[in-house]
Amino acid sequence: MMAERLGTKLHQNGAMVIPRSLAAAAVLFYFAGILFPQIQNEADDGQWTMAAKNPASTRYSALSQITTSNVKNLKLAWTFSTGLNKGEEAAPLVVNNTMYIVTPWPNILYALDLTNPGATKWTYSPHPSASSQGTACCDVVNRGAVYYKGKIFYNTLDNYTVAVDATTGKQVWKTLMGDINKGESMTMAPIVAGGKVIVGNSGGEFGVHGWLAGLETETGIVTWRAYHTGPDSQALIGPEFKPFYAQDRGKDLGVKTWQGDQWKIGGGSAWGWISYDPALDLIYYGTSNASPWNADMRPGDNKWTSTLFARKAETGQAVWAYQMNPHDNHDYDAVNENILLDLTIHGQPRKVLAHPDRNGRMYLIDRTTGEVLSAEPFTFVNTSESVDVKTGKLNAVDSKKTGFKTVRDICPAPPGGKDWPPSSFSPRTGLLYIPYNNLCAEMSGTQANYISGTPYLGTDVRMYAGPGGNRGGLTAWDPVTAKPVWKVKEMFPAWSGTVVTAGDVVFYGTMDGWFKALDAHNGNLLWKFKVGSGVIGQPISYKGPDGKQYIAILAGVGGWSGAIVSGGLNAADGTAALGFVNAMADLPKYTTTGGMLYVFSLP
Amino acid sequence: MLLTAACQREKRDLRPAPTRLAVLGTAARESLLQPGGAQAPLEPVNPAEGNAYSISEGQRLFNAYNCSGCHSHGGGGIGPPLIKDVWTYGNDPANLFDTIVKGRPNGMPSWGGRLPEYQIWQIVTYIRSLNKLEPKSATPTRSDSIEQNPHTLTPVPEPKLQ
Amino acid sequence: MNAFPLLLVSQSALEPGGTNASRILTLGEGMVFLLGIIFVAVMIMAVIPLMRRHRGIEQEPLERTHQPSEATERKLAIVVGSAAGATVVILLGLVAVSVVVGKSISTAGMPSHALTIEVTGNQWWWNVRYMNDDASKIIVTANELHIPVGRPVVIRGMSNDVIHSFWIPGLQGKRDLIPSRVNTEWIQADRPGNFRGQCAEFCGLQHAHMAMWVVAEPEDKFDAWFAHQGQDAVPPATEELQRGQQVFLNSACILCHHIQGTEAAGQVAPDLTHFGSRMTIAAGTLQNNKGNLAGWIADPQGIKPGTKMATVPVKSEDMQPLIDYLESLQ
Repeated sequence: MMAERLGTKLHQNGAMVIPRSLAAAAVLFYFAGILFPQIQNEADDGQWTMAAKNPASTRYSALSQITTSNVKNLKLAWTFSTGLNKGEEAAPLVVNNTMYIVTPWPNILYALDLTNPGATKWTYSPHPSASSQGTACCDVVNRGAVYYKGKIFYNTLDNYTVAVDATTGKQVWKTLMGDINKGESMTMAPIVAGGKVIVGNSGGEFGVHGWLAGLETETGIVTWRAYHTGPDSQALIGPEFKPFYAQDRGKDLGVKTWQGDQWKIGGGSAWGWISYDPALDLIYYGTSNASPWNADMRPGDNKWTSTLFARKAETGQAVWAYQMNPHDNHDYDAVNENILLDLTIHGQPRKVLAHPDRNGRMYLIDRTTGEVLSAEPFTFVNTSESVDVKTGKLNAVDSKKTGFKTVRDICPAPPGGKDWPPSSFSPRTGLLYIPYNNLCAEMSGTQANYISGTPYLGTDVRMYAGPGGNRGGLTAWDPVTAKPVWKVKEMFPAWSGTVVTAGDVVFYGTMDGWFKALDAHNGNLLWKFKVGSGVIGQPISYKGPDGKQYIAILAGVGGWSGAIVSGGLNAADGTAALGFVNAMADLPKYTTTGGMLYVFSLP
Repeated sequence: MLLTAACQREKRDLRPAPTRLAVLGTAARESLLQPGGAQAPLEPVNPAEGNAYSISEGQRLFNAYNCSGCHSHGGGGIGPPLIKDVWTYGNDPANLFDTIVKGRPNGMPSWGGRLPEYQIWQIVTYIRSLNKLEPKSATPTRSDSIEQNPHTLTPVPEPKLQ
Repeated sequence: MNAFPLLLVSQSALEPGGTNASRILTLGEGMVFLLGIIFVAVMIMAVIPLMRRHRGIEQEPLERTHQPSEATERKLAIVVGSAAGATVVILLGLVAVSVVVGKSISTAGMPSHALTIEVTGNQWWWNVRYMNDDASKIIVTANELHIPVGRPVVIRGMSNDVIHSFWIPGLQGKRDLIPSRVNTEWIQADRPGNFRGQCAEFCGLQHAHMAMWVVAEPEDKFDAWFAHQGQDAVPPATEELQRGQQVFLNSACILCHHIQGTEAAGQVAPDLTHFGSRMTIAAGTLQNNKGNLAGWIADPQGIKPGTKMATVPVKSEDMQPLIDYLESLQ
């Protein structure tokens, strides 16, 4: 865009004239190099081909029709009902004027014609087994699909990865990846990297053997599968593996840091977000909590649960790993998003990833080596004092370590300072927009029992609001200074993703059913709309066939936080839904279930 | 009269005879629609009904077999709540027995073939006791799980059916 | 190991095999000896006056007020005073000795870098976990402890349900296992042998059948035992044993028991990985042999009424392979 504007009047009267605009642009460009972080981004064509928008996972839309001044006029353009009433967590995809939506179980894929808004082009039903609903820890959700070379790829709850022709809706291939009788399920949104569809299982609450796999996009054949506990041969840890910190180095740590054969049922699933750096050819993702929740049953560091991995996309070979929460005893999964940024830290340009972890700290990690640059808390944290960036050690607070005892006032609670709902990053403001939780919990360990296909927990939990009384909110965070810039408090945990646009507007939804637009600079509320049910999905921004900018969001409360509504749970038992019901006993007053797509645009 | 009731409540039948694996469910009715008119129920009698020892064993098994992993302490989670007014498949002892043995379509596992029958009746009676359908004198007075902390945000309502 | 070494059976505090028990016994014997002397002395002094002959007419008439002479009074004062003084001194001395001995057997006298064993009381069995900073060296067993002779062993006691008490009379005094607490103590065996212990705090229906065995053996034998315990279960070698394993994996057994190296990973019942190598079944209740094992599986309530072990219906044709398989888990 800048190049086009620069191509004016370079020559006048035979002499080289440097137009003011060129000079201005040059100056801006110079400062941009220092002040504004650069990101790896494909050119923005107004489509949305993967849940995170781009492999760097910025969820930034360069469309600028909707701005801070005109967003107050945003109107509902059209809606579409999925006909279901479970938690809607997916990000819609928009490719070639078609919108693709994946629903919660039964995981129907809808292709909607954007030229005829709301009309269904075709529907694909994978018919996942109904019994698989019994292995979903946190509602029967699905976080979306990915589009690549004419095919849509996504996962079904009963452990199939499917490829569907994006034009015709016919199934191209379907590969069985796991077994519900081992407690496995699949809910994550895949990515395509290195010519492979990358998928992982869920089931850290069921004692699964967690893994991540790469399948051929054309055939669905599994090229590689990396397990996250067990010997190096299973973990695809080989000569390329060079972890930055000493405690992550050694042979077969996935066995040595476990008692007996507990690693086989140790968890470490990969149900969250994956980012990809094509230049380094590395995928970045985190693994789940260790099984069971009662950590006294599984002494040792429990590698490689709650670990951030960098792997080669084509082969799955591990290049580096950093265990965020060794011997995790608070259900602090490491699966949250890794936003790939090129920032200038302490005067040096660094290739980093920004990872807001469940443990409440915003990690800035050098994505070439795995070195932690900073890990400042973005919510109230009392389970750890600090992270020593020299040794990589998390200085955990002894009095908050759980096990066969009762510990109260654990902050953040198991859903963490933030759970899976993804942040976004604006290269214009240089800020990360993070939906966060403000929850504390009390936990009491009990004897866990492993029976395959059933939960493997051993903990009673009750959660409640953290300091201040609000259970969540949205924070704008400056990754360079590692400080928040502004914060908007919400009554309930902020359980929807965010999207930020070039118009400097941040969109997100709340669990009590408000879809909101904030000013990306200062957090001022610019617009809001009451949708039919609480929002736990991921908003997107796309360019419609008419050239207008649209914002789309699925609304249907559920997931772990909304289980009291989507599951019809009984609030008299505060330990229900692993303790979330205690914190959300008032949610049914604010929202009922739903399953509707809302699309907004300027009139 | 009272004495015999107390005898039944306190009886400990430790060796149920015969010891059967729970394989088939019963033919318990789950619908009020009965063509030709309502008929007599087909349900077998719950041998553990009203028995304090069975209810306490049921509580132990409810945790040991991970029922609490999905149903928590009656409030639900991965699975639906077990303290409620409206039951999809009925809450007669025979219906609950069926549910546990056969499993249910939307994710309830099938325990038939693994568990001996007498243990399933114990769990059934415990679930009924959570819903106050068992004599109060036979029901445990408090849960063994973590006690409510006064300063949690949302006051927990009196345990009741919802 | 199915031999029942009767000659080495010892569950007697009067036959100590360990440091702590010896100290307690020494203190006890000392007290008995000293207090016995005092007892005899006091008895003699009580009897002597009764044995004194009646003095008769030569006694002073009773009408006159009997005034003890000064000499008598002084003698009396000295006797009473010294008796009281001696009592106090002896009592204080005994208290001091008790405190010293108590301290020496308590955790205050506990040497560091000892072998640490976590014993968890359950109704009505003992879960035993050998702790180690290196998690991969932790082993789990049940109801039977092996310890090296001459090395101190720290016992961390916990309970999963009610209060139990860990008591090996030949090695130490009682130490309660209290839910939500960890009670630490140490033991040390001074000679090889098998020491029987039992639960010493009433814990329910089968409190009387909650025994355990501590096998004290020389360092090298202990190391061999320990190394073996950490390994996966012996895989079934014959078809019959494989059938037995299948019976195990297809029944309710796997809902509670763990056999390392198989899919059975239950955590609420004794670990069976090396079940065949243990001396007893059901926490010291029965000798570990096939007959007893079959009886135990077929009817646990008949042997330990109220036990938490389920009565699992095992078909008659499955029972023999099953017990063969379990006994093969050496």
